[in-house]
Amino acid sequence: MSVVDLPRYPFARAGSLGELCSLVHERCASGERTVLLAGGTDFMAEVSQSPRRDGPLPLVVDISRLPELGAIEWDGRTLRLGAGATYRELAEHHAVREHAPLIARMTSDIGGPTIQARGTLGGNLATASPAADGVAALAAYEPTVVLASVRGERKVRMADFHTGYKRTSRADDEIITAIEVAPPPPGSPWHWRKVGTRQAQAIAKVALGAVAALDGTRITRLGLGMASVGPTTALLPKTRALLVDGSPRDVDLAQLDAAVAADISPIDDIRSTGAYRLHVAKALVRELVRSLANL
Amino acid sequence: MHTGESLRPSVGTNVVRVDGAQKVTGGARYVDDLPPRPGELHGATVRSRVARAVLRGVRLDPTFDWSDVTVVTAADVPENVVQLIVDDQPVLAAERIHHRYEPVVLLACADRDKLARAVEAVLLDVDELPPVLTIEEALRARDVISGTDNVQKRYLITKGAPDIVRDAAPSDEARATEEAILRELEACEVVVRGEYSTHHQEQLYIEPQGMIAWWDDAGVHATGSIQCPYYVHKAMKRAFHLEPERIHVTQAVTGGGFGGKEEYPSLVALHAALLAKKSGRPVRMIYGRTEDIEATTKRHPAHCTVATGCDRDGTLRALMMRVVMDGGAYVTLTPVVLSRGILHAGGAYRWEHARIEGVAVATNTPPNGAFRGFGAPQTVWAIERHLDAVARELGMDPGVLKRQNLLVTGDTTPTGQAMRGEVGIHECVRRAFESSGYLERRRLGAAVSGRKARGIGCAIFLHGGGFTGSGERLLKGKAAVDLAPGGRLVVRSGSTDIGQGTETVFAQLAADAAKLPLDRVSVATPCTTYVPDSGPTVASRTVMVVGSIVERAAAEVAARVAAVRQPGESFATAGDRLLAREGTVTSLLQYESPAFVKWDDVRYRGDAYPVFAFMCDVAEVEVDLDTFEVTVLRFWQAADVGRAVHPLMCEGQLEGGTLQAIGWALSEELVWKDGAILNPRMTNYIVPTALDAPPFDTMLVEHPYSEGPGGGAKGIGEMPMDGGAAAIAAAVEHATGLAMNHLPLTPERLFAHAGARAVEAR
Amino acid sequence: MIAKVTLTVNGAARTVEAPPLTRLLDALRGPLGLTGAKEGCGEGECGSCAVLLDGVPVNACLVALGQCEGREVVTVEGLGEPRHLAPLQACMAEHGGAQCGICTPGMLIAAESLLRSNAQPSAVEVRRAIAGNLCRCTGYDRIVASVLAAAEALRATRGASVSAGAPVRGAAE
Repeated sequence: MSVVDLPRYPFARAGSLGELCSLVHERCASGERTVLLAGGTDFMAEVSQSPRRDGPLPLVVDISRLPELGAIEWDGRTLRLGAGATYRELAEHHAVREHAPLIARMTSDIGGPTIQARGTLGGNLATASPAADGVAALAAYEPTVVLASVRGERKVRMADFHTGYKRTSRADDEIITAIEVAPPPPGSPWHWRKVGTRQAQAIAKVALGAVAALDGTRITRLGLGMASVGPTTALLPKTRALLVDGSPRDVDLAQLDAAVAADISPIDDIRSTGAYRLHVAKALVRELVRSLANL
Repeated sequence: MHTGESLRPSVGTNVVRVDGAQKVTGGARYVDDLPPRPGELHGATVRSRVARAVLRGVRLDPTFDWSDVTVVTAADVPENVVQLIVDDQPVLAAERIHHRYEPVVLLACADRDKLARAVEAVLLDVDELPPVLTIEEALRARDVISGTDNVQKRYLITKGAPDIVRDAAPSDEARATEEAILRELEACEVVVRGEYSTHHQEQLYIEPQGMIAWWDDAGVHATGSIQCPYYVHKAMKRAFHLEPERIHVTQAVTGGGFGGKEEYPSLVALHAALLAKKSGRPVRMIYGRTEDIEATTKRHPAHCTVATGCDRDGTLRALMMRVVMDGGAYVTLTPVVLSRGILHAGGAYRWEHARIEGVAVATNTPPNGAFRGFGAPQTVWAIERHLDAVARELGMDPGVLKRQNLLVTGDTTPTGQAMRGEVGIHECVRRAFESSGYLERRRLGAAVSGRKARGIGCAIFLHGGGFTGSGERLLKGKAAVDLAPGGRLVVRSGSTDIGQGTETVFAQLAADAAKLPLDRVSVATPCTTYVPDSGPTVASRTVMVVGSIVERAAAEVAARVAAVRQPGESFATAGDRLLAREGTVTSLLQYESPAFVKWDDVRYRGDAYPVFAFMCDVAEVEVDLDTFEVTVLRFWQAADVGRAVHPLMCEGQLEGGTLQAIGWALSEELVWKDGAILNPRMTNYIVPTALDAPPFDTMLVEHPYSEGPGGGAKGIGEMPMDGGAAAIAAAVEHATGLAMNHLPLTPERLFAHAGARAVEAR
Repeated sequence: MIAKVTLTVNGAARTVEAPPLTRLLDALRGPLGLTGAKEGCGEGECGSCAVLLDGVPVNACLVALGQCEGREVVTVEGLGEPRHLAPLQACMAEHGGAQCGICTPGMLIAAESLLRSNAQPSAVEVRRAIAGNLCRCTGYDRIVASVLAAAEALRATRGASVSAGAPVRGAAE
């Protein structure tokens, strides 16, 4: 019913990133809240579905067409994904398909085509839901989050970005402008598996993204991201430590299961159970190791 | 006589549905698409929020400005009863709260924002009581919330030995019949016992409930999303003490119902009309999705206890089943749902001896109500899964066991109803088995490839068309056909098109009966002011029962035109002359139940339905052995529909119904806590998407029903809901060995069931 | 707060004055008078409100009107009229793709988006394209069949117009 809240929100459109940084900074300084609106797939749905709100509402600033946020660029070493690029745009972009194929693949598991057409990586990062498919896939590339503010640009490793359930290290006046990925060479192995509530329009019960580099049979690089198994996207450090520098063919499965169990803290909720999630998390990591072993 | 008109029959062809062009252009007007009426207000419902309580009073926050808000409470209802079977449900709660989403106060305001704030400014003073939330708690009857023992309804069906002792010991029939069936079971070579349960299911029509109501000199008007305009009419008549002609209920284009818009819209209409009456303004009441999922009716959960006896060669002998359903807080349609459930409990099989007992209990959850299948999916699940268990015990294939026990002409059902005419189930089984390669693939066993296993399973079932027993005789459904200028016919009936294609099929039947081209026939919008009461649009009766009235009426009108027609004259010219002479030319007919239908309502013996439709489902699934996700790869279904008036729409009914069964089996699950639904949203009540749905191989088998319209149509709307879940469970068992007796088969439940058996893979 | 937003709707320039966070869906169904797009859930799950925004299918319940300045919106009403149905619409009616019809406008928009970029989709591609649109009536098979039939009809029409309209070398020589 609180769709009735929507008409009461104040609204502005940002003309440039600089303008946006100033606006957000000034509002922060005076203790006023701001919501940045890109695709609206989280914000519009949540306002519509949540209880009615009284009192002052935050200013909603439309950033969906800020040119500084939409670009996708490849400079030969780094893939820079604009925070405002939609999943549909990511999926269709040749540089993403070539250098970050896991991201291109993951997009087709997000919601359905209408959600892919609006949702953005920046939005996923800012909302910081541990169930976000996009963040799990992104995490496997061990990316850097680029933040802008009146103080200039700041880069944060994604490992340091999400600090808790729906919490990030972004300052209130900072804007996520891009994500930088230094991908392994084209052709490097990657893996994506989402176990959701259904085949589309689904929230992950567990999802695993992985990007690897191998030297012969030795794993030299491995990035992991797992959704819906803890308060933040799980990066599975113990699992990774167990696998890196070894061969996927020599992995002790009991140790692997134990590492996965130690890396995650899945819970019961309306979508699944903690016990099932733990089981599936182990199975998906085993599946990953099998696929690396069979290369 | 040569008519000069096209004689090519329309029945049996896939004419373009008459509402097609409007629906594909956005022109069809659903209730919330209707323009606002002058001065219209929005209506909202304040609900209980506790599952069981004494309602001490209602307070309005004195700091809130109520000047432009209309407030309605129970005291404003002339007679505070929702008319249905039992007078237990109030229009608005007055003294007692029986479920968490019970309507207590109604509000209307022109400003939607203010209306939302007003809802929060209503305070309910309640003394909470411990709620009864499950079948088990209700049967224990430590807290009594209905009658003396929480039981809303009981039935008993007996056949063979239990039936003989029943007449001998009428005062002690429960014990005597139970002893008799136990004796028969003991005499059998193989006895198998099992328990099977099913869960709530939400209809999840994509258009939520909605109604617009207003009052004027003619009385009260309600236009909305409804299956049964005359249910609303009767509810208004009762609650407002109005003369029937002062009530005008109109169906807007309706975005799906599946039973969910059978009885519930009466409540929405009463609420909107109460607000409209008190405010003196039109009131629009459109439910949000969450409110719709929380407050409206759902499929009854059921628990079935089954024992059967058979010979070692698989010949079935004796059946004992006890069916307990959760009726929810009020009786609504529960007795009828329970009745249909037990009447389908024997499945499509021959039993010499049977004792089937039905019990419905009250709980402090929203009333459960009509949903496609209407009790049969619950008992078909039980009997089909049970026969799978019997086959396991005997070392037979379940499809083979079922096939060898199918009813044949002259066999009787547990109520003693003899199968008349050709029993189409045999052809259904043959075609479904052959096209799917069922027997061969069962012989080969599960196909395991890596961490995926494929299996195949079947379900065989029947579904009675029309109201049960003497229901149609009591109902006296009517329909009319009018002659209109230009040689046109207008069909008037209270049967609604809620997507299944009623308008098109009625036009086809009338056109063929009058030997007119289809475009000469139109179907009037169901409005109680103009259409007769055809009975509700439920129970697989619209084509079979009401369609047959339409057919007769159209033929009668055509005959009257033919009687005045001169040689060489067109139907239109003759019709216009007849109209000029008589003013109106109408045939208003009433349904005549076939003479052969004999039914004993007290003993539940005889012809439960004039005819049964039959169906065989074969499902092929792939189970991920790591994640327990079940993918339905392909689904074969063969159905004896009597005669397909519109084959494409008939197939559409079968496929849509089966997908609802697949959703019920695999993913649809309401999560409850303390009488509240934790997932009342489309994002977490999981119905299948296009990627979850299998491709269907749908086969129509046509063994005409002697009394059916269009050359023998049977009712088929509900049947596809009955068997899909059991077919899937059998396929999952074939693939994995996991034998599931309780729905749903979510990955979490399969995983929990597998327990230690969850295979660890390298 | 009221904003004045000018956008193109089904080919015509329209101006709406409404609060900027009004959902595009409400703007279409209210001031713009186009009730083809439906509200089934209000949270981007059912797809009944799908429209094309600059040629891309979106849920109109998740788009703020204020985000639509200068943009181009196509609703089901923009695909064709009852007397002049687009092939996709005709096929949806003829092949059993519409039953109750409430999901149909969104389905048509999703399918239109697919057919604009893929003239010869496979059944699986059709299912992916409509995966964000829930239908509770049909079981989806008939919707898939309708879209495939439309693709074929469109190919036939385009093929015919190409052969009719394209100059044939040598014909004039």
